[in-house]
Amino acid sequence: MQSINQEGGVKRLSCEISAAWAIAKKDMRIYYLKSNIIVAGILFPFFMFLAFAIGKNASPGTLIPGLISITLLFSSSQIEPVSIAMERRVKTFERLLSAPISLYSLVLGESLSGFFYSLGIACLPLIAGVIIFSTPIVHAAILVISMIFTAFCFATLGTLFAAYPTENVGEIMSMLNTVRLPLIFISGVFVPISSMPHIGQEIALISPLTYGNDMIEYAYTGKSLFSPLLDVVMLMTFILIFQITANYLYKTFNE
Amino acid sequence: MQAIEVSHLIKKFGSLTAVNDISFSVGEGETFGFLGPNGAGKTTTIRILTGVSRPTSGTATIFGHDIEHDTINARQSMGIVSENSNVYDDLTAWQNMVFSAELYHVGRNEREKKSTELLKKFELYERRNDKAHGFSKGMKRRLTLVMRLVNSPSLLFLDEPTSGLDVQSNLIIREVISDLILDGVTVFLTTHNIEEANVMCDRVAIINKGNIIAIDAPESLKKTSKGSQSIEVSFDRNSADHLDELSRLSMVNEVQKAGDKFKFYTEDPAEIIDAVAVYARTHNLKIISITTLGPSLEDVFVKLTGLQLAGDGIHAID
Repeated sequence: MQSINQEGGVKRLSCEISAAWAIAKKDMRIYYLKSNIIVAGILFPFFMFLAFAIGKNASPGTLIPGLISITLLFSSSQIEPVSIAMERRVKTFERLLSAPISLYSLVLGESLSGFFYSLGIACLPLIAGVIIFSTPIVHAAILVISMIFTAFCFATLGTLFAAYPTENVGEIMSMLNTVRLPLIFISGVFVPISSMPHIGQEIALISPLTYGNDMIEYAYTGKSLFSPLLDVVMLMTFILIFQITANYLYKTFNE
Repeated sequence: MQAIEVSHLIKKFGSLTAVNDISFSVGEGETFGFLGPNGAGKTTTIRILTGVSRPTSGTATIFGHDIEHDTINARQSMGIVSENSNVYDDLTAWQNMVFSAELYHVGRNEREKKSTELLKKFELYERRNDKAHGFSKGMKRRLTLVMRLVNSPSLLFLDEPTSGLDVQSNLIIREVISDLILDGVTVFLTTHNIEEANVMCDRVAIINKGNIIAIDAPESLKKTSKGSQSIEVSFDRNSADHLDELSRLSMVNEVQKAGDKFKFYTEDPAEIIDAVAVYARTHNLKIISITTLGPSLEDVFVKLTGLQLAGDGIHAID
């Protein structure tokens, strides 16, 4: 009897994962080439970065870790607020909600599309760093791990904000930006956390970008505020919180 | 086992009771119509039965699976065709099919075979590689239906399946639904087209203001509306000027002008026929046709829901 239950559980899990992957593939096909997604995913972090980097007395190569961090932040959380709001408008989202899959799979599937998109986009500054500025990477494996966890964390954040029951993309984006923009300033991307006032350092601890950026810095320089293990644990904690909260909100707002 | 079993279902939104303690069941293979005016609680009921929304209290089961606590298993056996053709415009017809099959865990070989078969049946196979944004409304609706059939559902929720469609799509969809019914698929149909429900359904429920006010076979419901017998008369000249005088004939409850005909509501059709014949002779009119009608399902619907018929459809009484 137990093995039948286990078999059923494995089959269920396999169904959930394949449904989540189907949702991710659908989003990739439909939304990756939308102009607003491209503009916001590539240009917005790039110009944002330029605005703060110009005038700094640092060589461009040293700014690559920060550029990767904010690219991951903006591009990974960009797809879902657009896709879910648009799908509410054309009533395809209702169909996802009525499919034989759990809300966790729905949230995971939506997040995966942002995750892969973000990894692709973040490779641009990474490659530019290697080819144009010859920026050295001290721990390549840590860099890959940091990018994976950071991208997935912010993709889930995007899915979480997209739970807000509106058909208006701008409405979700403006709410999301009230969180994303301050994160840049409190997470050590432009100003090292150690140089911040005490209150700023405390606030930095509740930002997931702090841990993502810290690990990316470690991968490039070998120096960091926290150990990479702690960074991973914190990012996983944020992913879990975002996933559970998103699940709860989708359930609640559907009522 | 019943396909759908609803027991004391209540759904409240704040102080508004959208569904008020409704109970009904739908047998396997039955075609069940769910009728009601706008805002009556039809959509809320469907959202609960499909697990999208949770009831405030009460239970609903789909083939024995509680929709609130065993949602995924309950959904696995159903197909849902909503009023909106919710296909992905940026995907091709084939990609839409494959996506739907993947959501419903249909294996690769089965989904390719089934998709091909269904697209051909719905006359969309030639357009399978075209993106849906170029499709007409009827084609999108057909694609919506095809996508919901890819998992071979035992229960199909149809929300206004033929509303606003072209003749070709309308005919194809009705034919396929008839085939599904013959194949033993349970159909839960909501429609504003009462004649459609009359023709297709084994039983209908009429819901109004969150309450089920009648539930029975269409013919049984019609028998409850004896006062709604009518006759339709067409003269060679059907000016609306005759309305006033015709309404004063004996035994006439009401007269309406409907196109090139006058429709008399009465409890005694024979008496009206005599009176109309006399009227025609006196006014030098020629009777082109005369038809006696029993109460229609629409008459029952109007009577039970407190709506009134106007020339262009049904309107709520203020």
